[in-house]
Amino acid sequence: MRAARDSPGNSPRPQLKLSELEFNGIGILMSRIFGIDLGTTNSLIAVSDGGQPRVIADPASGAALLPSVVALAPDGATYVGDEAIALEPQLSVERDGRLSAAELPGGAQGAVIRSVKRYMGRGGAELEEADRRRYTFTEMAGGVARFKVGDRDYTPPQISAAILRALKRRAEAALGGETVDRVVITVPAYFNDGQRQATKDAGRLAGLEVVRLVNEPTAASLAYGLGAQAEGRVAVYDFGGGTFDISILNIKGGIFEVLATNGDTHLGGDDIDRAVAETLLAGLPEATRADRRVWNSARQAAEQAKQGLSTASTAELRLALPGREIVRNLTRAELEQSAAPLIDRTIACCARALADAGLKAAEIDAVVLVGGSTRMPLVGRRVSEFFGRDALCSIDPDQVVALGAAVQAGVLMGTQGDLLLLDVVPLSLGIETMGGVMERVVHRNTTIPTSVAEGFTTAVDNQTHVDIHVLQGERELAQDCRSLARFKLGPIAPQPAGLPRIEVTFLIDANGILNVTARDQRTGREHSVDVKPSYGLTDDAIEQMLEESIDLGEQDIEQRLLIAACNDADQIAAALGKQLRDYGALVEAGERDRIEEVAGRLAAARLGADRELIARLVEELNEITTPFAGRIMDGAIKQALEKKSINEVS
Amino acid sequence: MQAQEPRTLCTTCGAPLGAAIDCFATLGWPRRLAIDRAALERTYHELGRRMHPDRFVAAAPALRDASLRGTARLTQAYRTLGDPVSRGLYWLELHGRKLADNNKEVSPALAEMVFAVQEQLDDLRTVRSVARGGEAETPAGAAETAAIEAEMRTEVEERREELRGAIDAAGRELEANFADWDKAAAESPDGPHEAGGASAPGADARFAELKAILSKIAYLRTLIRDIDRALETAQAA
Repeated sequence: MRAARDSPGNSPRPQLKLSELEFNGIGILMSRIFGIDLGTTNSLIAVSDGGQPRVIADPASGAALLPSVVALAPDGATYVGDEAIALEPQLSVERDGRLSAAELPGGAQGAVIRSVKRYMGRGGAELEEADRRRYTFTEMAGGVARFKVGDRDYTPPQISAAILRALKRRAEAALGGETVDRVVITVPAYFNDGQRQATKDAGRLAGLEVVRLVNEPTAASLAYGLGAQAEGRVAVYDFGGGTFDISILNIKGGIFEVLATNGDTHLGGDDIDRAVAETLLAGLPEATRADRRVWNSARQAAEQAKQGLSTASTAELRLALPGREIVRNLTRAELEQSAAPLIDRTIACCARALADAGLKAAEIDAVVLVGGSTRMPLVGRRVSEFFGRDALCSIDPDQVVALGAAVQAGVLMGTQGDLLLLDVVPLSLGIETMGGVMERVVHRNTTIPTSVAEGFTTAVDNQTHVDIHVLQGERELAQDCRSLARFKLGPIAPQPAGLPRIEVTFLIDANGILNVTARDQRTGREHSVDVKPSYGLTDDAIEQMLEESIDLGEQDIEQRLLIAACNDADQIAAALGKQLRDYGALVEAGERDRIEEVAGRLAAARLGADRELIARLVEELNEITTPFAGRIMDGAIKQALEKKSINEVS
Repeated sequence: MQAQEPRTLCTTCGAPLGAAIDCFATLGWPRRLAIDRAALERTYHELGRRMHPDRFVAAAPALRDASLRGTARLTQAYRTLGDPVSRGLYWLELHGRKLADNNKEVSPALAEMVFAVQEQLDDLRTVRSVARGGEAETPAGAAETAAIEAEMRTEVEERREELRGAIDAAGRELEANFADWDKAAAESPDGPHEAGGASAPGADARFAELKAILSKIAYLRTLIRDIDRALETAQAA
């Protein structure tokens, strides 16, 4: 794998002088934000040029899609996309699922990993037999699932990061060296908190700032709704390689409001291929069926036949068995028979989403098909039947999500007009209470961002910590829901049981990711919250992976952290400079002096090499500008209400 | 460790009760119970457009944070006031008269309905277990069981429609109660403010009526949920 030329850590940024001048004038030159569809089967990168989104093709091959396939060579080198697929034949399967890679540098073991998205946010304990048949994992109780490749192991975010880096390189090459360091990444709407966090971690590991995660069906609706002055209720049916989502939206006056979402993050075209492969192998002896090569051959044959059957009515299948080859025909009817139960499941999800939105199928104004699996004629038929209308698929179902991500990137840059996305949290969030019952704190399909505060106290005298177990899911018992994290509050000053009053705020941000803060209600003091993700990576683990990663390994870690701190300083200074200019009337007497005094010290520190001092001053600047920020927000509210009352009158 | 009851915070919007920030204030809305949903939505969207974190990506951290928390509060407030039932529950909480989870204020008619539905569902479960258990000795017997089950399902579905109708009726009672509150507030000597309405003559009776309606709706919703589950299980089996 080529070493990345640029990452935020070492990219040449314009040198900013933090002076009063800076505060009154020039803003920072922010890089553009790109949209990425990090798919199970294929990934894409897109950008919005003058309000018009376009997918950035590989400048060498002209391909828009990058296969989400990563090859890990024995020497630790990484190959992505077609390069990885080309290496597949050189990795031969040995016993116990290990891949021998004798022909590659390093000579020991390598692996080719497909559909890594299925493993994002998964715990080692959540792996199934079928997964273990496909890949070798490290034997670790709990924690994050890790692929074992020779002496190395890789978490799913690390594999995904390789795909993200390849997209970044592709775009930078295509755009003549423009830096790609800020992105919007799409995720299945039904992704849980852990899967979302894992996606964000992948971005961070790839040296990208993930400005926003956007749900795939919502992104698709943006691509469709753009320019069309679309209004009305839209159902987005998104059936991809590995995941299924249905989102019901109401689009009005540029506001894309999700009413309800449903889905299955382990249901996609892959599963149809598997179902077909099972029927192909049905008559064969157990020993043959268990052979991984046979299985792979059947799966590939099934995939090709499925694609052919989207237009033809029969397809020829070639199945490689040890020592012989079976050739047979598969009809569309046979394929549809295998796929029908899976498509039934997607329709059941549609019914649940409609019920949650409080709508009937007839009340939907448009249905949109997204994702490669919607190319199957049966899918289009069943969806049209269910909603009682023809479904739209005028935008390439493989590209529409990436295009929508680019539109949202444009919205975030302020170059895409007055669009606003209001999405929802797909799964209920709650806490484990006495007796192992899940008490819901945030219900599914609640608009995000949202926050809920809950009161907690101690159960025994002089208790110094309170443990909170956060869960996600729809079942009534904690054990049937998915564990998200355990939070430890404290230390609490020794008091009789029931006396301490701690207010815990569960905030779900616009990415659908949970943040927890705690405050002592008597003293008003913030409590520290120690987060232990159940199946996620801690900040420290990510930092360590970053240090170990090949791309950044050559660079001195201290140097990298210093540059990162300086970037933070530059950003806050530029942003504050703009705020002071734009909202000068809201600055209180003496406040500007105090802000500029700290900023001056930061500017001085910025010239030195003490990154802890820089970080401390950034934090101080942040703290003293909090009241100013509150006034700006109040002003925005006041303006909106005034505008409203003018509209009401006129 | 468990979540503490009773809470001192608004469970719907998360604001500490009695604090300056409330759902009405967050939306810049007068403290009236009869709300034009479309007008409230326009206000919510207008505020959302200006406050949303999407608009503050390049802002300094403190402003980004203010935008995120402000928008989170806004969506909560809109959800609370947008739906008449949650609005009514919030009104009770706002005045320290939260509807208890295990409230016993059930009218005899409602109690009768609850028993009738539970009995119906029990019967459905019984006949279903007979049908699935394969206890019928002859194909004719199996067909008869299936026919009985289908008939019972239809009856349960009809009952569900009846309950939905009852919820709609309760919704209209709720609107009438809201109108009473607003009328009292407008006539209050303290001016058209909720404080006047809540302390005006007849407030206790209005609170009692509001509680009764909301508790009825809660029961009806639970019954419908039970029916949904029973019918779903039948489908799955």
